[in-house]
Amino acid sequence: MRPMKFGMGQALTRVEDHRFITGSGHYATDYHAKGELQAFVLRSPYASATFRMGSLDAARAMPGVAAVITHVDVAHLGDLPCQAPVKNSDGSTPRAPSYPVLPKDRVFHVGEAVAFIVAETLNQARDAAEAIDIKWSAMPVVSEIADARKKGAPLVHEAAPGNVAFDHLMGDKAKTDAVFAKAARVVSLDVVNNRLIANYMETRSIVAEPKKDGKFLITLGSQGSHGLRNTLAKFIFKTDPANFRVVTPDVGGGFGTKTFMYREYPLAVFAAGKLGRPVRWASDRTEHFFACAHGRDNLTRCEMALDERGKFLALRVEIDANMGAYLSQYGPYIPWLGATMLTGVYDIKAGYARVRGLFTNSVPFDAYRGAGRPEAAYMLERFVDYIADEIGMDRIKLRKLNFIKPARMPYKTVTGRVYDTGEFAGHLDRAMEIAEWKGFPARARSARKVGKLRGIGLGVYIEACGGGSPEPAYVSLEKDGTATVRIGTQSNGQGHETAYAQLVSQHLDLPLDKIRVKQGDTNDTPTGLGTGGSRSIPVGGSGVMKAAELLATNLKTLAAEKLEAGIGDLEISGGAVRIAGTDRRITFAEIAALPGAKKDMLSTTAAFAPPEATYPNGTHVCEVEIDPETGETRIVNFVIVDDFGVTLNPILLAGQIHGGAAQGIGQAMIERYVQDENGQILTASFLDYAMPRADDMPSFTFETRNVPSTTNAMGLKGAGEAGTIGAAPAVVNAIVDALRRAKGISHVDMPANAQTIWEVLRSAT
Amino acid sequence: MPKVSMTVNGKRVSGNVDARTLLVDFLRNEQRLTGTHVGCDTSQCGACVVHVDGKAIKSCTTLALSCEGANVTTIEGLANGQDLHPMQAAFRAHHGLQCGFCTPGMIMAAIDMVNRLGFNLSEETIRENLDGNICRCTGYHNIVKAIQAGAAAMGGLKVAAE
Ligand code: FES
Ligand code: FES
Repeated sequence: MRPMKFGMGQALTRVEDHRFITGSGHYATDYHAKGELQAFVLRSPYASATFRMGSLDAARAMPGVAAVITHVDVAHLGDLPCQAPVKNSDGSTPRAPSYPVLPKDRVFHVGEAVAFIVAETLNQARDAAEAIDIKWSAMPVVSEIADARKKGAPLVHEAAPGNVAFDHLMGDKAKTDAVFAKAARVVSLDVVNNRLIANYMETRSIVAEPKKDGKFLITLGSQGSHGLRNTLAKFIFKTDPANFRVVTPDVGGGFGTKTFMYREYPLAVFAAGKLGRPVRWASDRTEHFFACAHGRDNLTRCEMALDERGKFLALRVEIDANMGAYLSQYGPYIPWLGATMLTGVYDIKAGYARVRGLFTNSVPFDAYRGAGRPEAAYMLERFVDYIADEIGMDRIKLRKLNFIKPARMPYKTVTGRVYDTGEFAGHLDRAMEIAEWKGFPARARSARKVGKLRGIGLGVYIEACGGGSPEPAYVSLEKDGTATVRIGTQSNGQGHETAYAQLVSQHLDLPLDKIRVKQGDTNDTPTGLGTGGSRSIPVGGSGVMKAAELLATNLKTLAAEKLEAGIGDLEISGGAVRIAGTDRRITFAEIAALPGAKKDMLSTTAAFAPPEATYPNGTHVCEVEIDPETGETRIVNFVIVDDFGVTLNPILLAGQIHGGAAQGIGQAMIERYVQDENGQILTASFLDYAMPRADDMPSFTFETRNVPSTTNAMGLKGAGEAGTIGAAPAVVNAIVDALRRAKGISHVDMPANAQTIWEVLRSAT
Repeated sequence: MPKVSMTVNGKRVSGNVDARTLLVDFLRNEQRLTGTHVGCDTSQCGACVVHVDGKAIKSCTTLALSCEGANVTTIEGLANGQDLHPMQAAFRAHHGLQCGFCTPGMIMAAIDMVNRLGFNLSEETIRENLDGNICRCTGYHNIVKAIQAGAAAMGGLKVAAE
């Protein structure tokens, strides 16, 4: 691609930053409607209980109270739908338990909404909630996966025997079992994938405004306004989506979990319609822990069959994934998606995954950055280190022996994935070189001298993203010669305004501040799939690029007539079309004023339908130093070498990788959501849930070693989630390496925090 | 309701507030200065950091009434017209923000750090002193770089001015 000043590959700072650094960003939580009422959600204190709603008269009579909404008021509304069910092995589709807008007489997790109180002020709504008398009757609790799968465990839902939401088999079990039966060696390991909370900094909120024509304007922070509009309309209110205009302004982070339908949205809309006034609800941080989908939470058993040389022959895994109390929008799909990446970067000819979703009395679970793929990558890379240790083989040799070789690309995995490109040994070598892997023993010796334990570890990952349905992009030239992009993806902080502007500039050669990017308003584009699965650039960006190219051609066509030149002699530069090598030119603004400049010439649209996902891959190397007296662990070096096909903007890319890796490191070392045996949440604030802070995080060395993807014209591979996917196994492998060298310890589970490390060191002989 | 008066970004403002009104709510709701954010309810995240009489405080745990007569600076008061404060400029130049939600608090905390500890800040000092500010997007790498550069730039300006 021809290098353009503001185009593809340029390291440009962001156009959106000015408003954020001056405090003029506009988030959903900053939005207020004239005359709005405030809503408060009354939530269950029990993880599992039946209840009887007492009289609401007292609450309704409290000062300022406009409405107290309970199940009876919203019983006519549809359930919150699970839109990605996973089939059982026998081909049947399991029935999802009813997930009503408000429950009638039974709650299944702490914090479950039971009433929606609307008043003039939030304090009035809160006070009224205290006046509601509910008779609770506690029921048996299934708190965690281990409880759910116990023999004779209580049932979360009567209709789900064994607490099994679905039981799915992927891959060829008979073939795999046959390989296992004849294998020279079998190694197995159980791994825990700890439960995480997204904890984006801007908590959710909504303002629902009824309009005179019976329609609603809905303002909320999301990962895509169209998806929420459609779910609200089609599934819950059973009305035409055109009745809802959903607007998402700036978004303070999403990481997957702002994609989904949550109860407060239909409640606010319903209340606004009933009262004829705008209704606002905003979550506080504690509510985030029990009203937003949770992430991860798997128990996985993995087994590898090997030959005498250490070649992987077959892999079988059993994944038990916590679904929480209900099936959230995409909940079941997440562990399923992870399982499709079962064999990772390795050439393994037989394998299967049995994926079970289990119900527990906890907040419903759904996609959180990486969504299944971090779980898969962690499982495999932790397991490979463990195997190396078990069979007494160098972990790098073992990896290289089993990698899929570049010559085998495109490569079809046992789960049906087709990798287009990937040079795994290439980035592995490079990452080890930067991390000075060879010098590690000397560094470990020096550390030992001062009583510290050093370890080094790595993870080599591949992930699947940037595929799926097309995302139409609309690019138009304005009268003043600037350009506007409209698209149904949604920036949550990734910098789409800059990235898309660069793609437009590649063809129109405009400075970025002459290109507006509009997202988030369902009135602006007819459809939109939002941000998720690292798709906004590979899929959305491909559409933008194509639409910009079409527009450039149109502009040349119009200019050709005016300049009386052949299209082939024209070039675009600096906001004008000119005859190459001359100073005869016509500016975009002048073109826009030409008689032939009809709307269809100045507005173009394109959508790219990816034939297959993209497969970013890379190596993360982590070096740690542990104080054995306290278990405290510092990351002393962190190196990432990734293959993203092509780099659109190295500054934005590095930001995605740093932030993603920090979330992976957080999971590996400190983050964990905990419930006690009664299903009570022990980590419902930043005081109890360990959030990564600056002092917990390393500084990163990040490099790309790109091999262009063959599945999209630009050669891009999605980069939004890769950092999270690669980081956790590298960290835990480094920690285990230190513990193995010191005490022969071969595995620890996440989060490997100071307490865990201190304990395993104490109990090791 | 008691009356409170203070100077916010150089402007005298006053209002009648409920005694329990927090400074952050006074700024966001009464003054419509929505650049100061709320990220938590336990005084942990620092999204709400503003300066009161030149010192960084968490406006989510400060009563508006306690700021009677005080001089308050928020993120909106940093730039001088079109001229960004050097710390703001550094956050942009070093991509020290993504969603931008933590950013106002980060910038206000960073300026306070420079005021307390000087223009030459080591990576370690910066990381340690950011213990009251959480960012979920950036992994802190670029925030640390931005603060280091912003601090140096503030030093340069000061030196030039003196
Ligand atoms: S809002 Fe003040 S510390 Fe979080
Ligand atoms: S930039 Fe999003 S929380 Fe810091």
